[in-house]
Amino acid sequence: MHFSIFRYNPEHDDKPYMQDFRIDLESSDLMLLDVILRIKNVQDDSLTIRRSCREGICGSDAININGRNGLACVTNVRKLREPVELRPLPSFPVVRDLVVDMSRFWKQYHSIRPYLVNDEPPPEKERLQSPAERERLDGSYECIMCGCCTSQCPSSWWNPDTFVGPAGLLQAYRFISDSRDRATGERLQDLNRDPYRLFRCRTIMNCTEVCPMGLSPSRAIERIRLRMLDVEGHGGGLARHRVPTVR
Amino acid sequence: MITLTGLRAWLVQRATAVYMLAFIVLFLARFVIAPPRSYDEWHGLMSGAGMIAATVLFFAALLTHAWVGLRDVVLDYVHVVALRAVLLPLLALGLVALGTWIVRIFWTIGG
Amino acid sequence: MATRTTSATKRQRPVFLDLTQIEMPVGALASIGHRLSGVVLATGVPFGIYLLDRSLRSPQAYRWVLGLCDDIAFRIAAIVFVWALSHHLLAGTRHLLSDVDIGSQLPAARRSAWIANIGGVAIALLAAGAWL
Repeated sequence: MHFSIFRYNPEHDDKPYMQDFRIDLESSDLMLLDVILRIKNVQDDSLTIRRSCREGICGSDAININGRNGLACVTNVRKLREPVELRPLPSFPVVRDLVVDMSRFWKQYHSIRPYLVNDEPPPEKERLQSPAERERLDGSYECIMCGCCTSQCPSSWWNPDTFVGPAGLLQAYRFISDSRDRATGERLQDLNRDPYRLFRCRTIMNCTEVCPMGLSPSRAIERIRLRMLDVEGHGGGLARHRVPTVR
Repeated sequence: MITLTGLRAWLVQRATAVYMLAFIVLFLARFVIAPPRSYDEWHGLMSGAGMIAATVLFFAALLTHAWVGLRDVVLDYVHVVALRAVLLPLLALGLVALGTWIVRIFWTIGG
Repeated sequence: MATRTTSATKRQRPVFLDLTQIEMPVGALASIGHRLSGVVLATGVPFGIYLLDRSLRSPQAYRWVLGLCDDIAFRIAAIVFVWALSHHLLAGTRHLLSDVDIGSQLPAARRSAWIANIGGVAIALLAAGAWL
């Protein structure tokens, strides 16, 4: 199979370039990550990528595959159009090859206060939540913070420092939906304090298209807007969709 | 300067859109069913009290909708604050001027 | 690639943002079309108000406005505006429905984006067929 991979080493490259690789697939090569690691091990060990769990749950190996973000470890390598073009996540500063600087992404995430805010004295055991209340977190708690959504979002491209982005906003929705949280009003106020934090979203839906966990940040954002208008909306969580195949 | 927080701007954009959608559909339907065939018919159609009100409201909605939309375009792509501080007021001025024009057209239409 | 002796950390990190290499899903096309058509419509509003004004002034002015329809450049511009209005209305209605949770899940959203994209072009082609 023919691969074209984005290369950049700040120590000796002026600017990035694409490098071609050819490799025969073995029967044990199921996912794209398998092949990338074999290229690294056998052909060019300077090739750099983040990876960890290799099963689609840690989010480390999020990269841009033939123009569309995805996790290398759960992308079926044989279904990919050749030459397979691998690039780092769009708009994030490139540290080296396919590894990007996620600092801005984390900053936006932290800005929405991704923790339970409840100053009531804690009960003996846990703060109780009925099954129906717990269900309202479905479709938002599963986020693995891989960055696929935010780096595919044009609004995030043009306003990375002021627009929170789909991942951050999905987590904002997660806490707004949590029955144990007491800061709902503040959270909604915070997202409405300027025309940037939430309202750069144009519902382009690139986020929902590329989420490897089948989540819909665009829908969560729509629900936040309705909450701001005091419309409770449909209780219950957000449904997850079948993840489209990366080609 | 007209400033709208995020939520208010979004709401205004949606509300004006709904009104304009209804107006356009009805207006087009009218044109398809009974198109005015002369100046007198056209002028007569547009000078009814109800029509004047609906049309002026349509343009108010249009100019406000355009303001929110174009402002979004500026906020998205123009990051130089000084340039924004010039473009947005100019835009607002232009839209207000168009609004005044509309009012003038329909103020004198009845004769 | 020249070998550098200066500290690499001082240099700004590059980004990948080549729009020709990044996939544009159907919803993204609908969205950029919505923005583009909106700007096109906005630029046409002043001229539209001018035509409205003239058409209501006198029978002669009214006839002049109608006479414009014979001009080929005017017809082409009108077809562009038909596309702009159609796409903007279709994509806009898609947004309005999505706001109240109708068709905001991925499969339905993709279908409605296709309809908006194709619908706008189809209506413009109909207009072109009738007017050219």
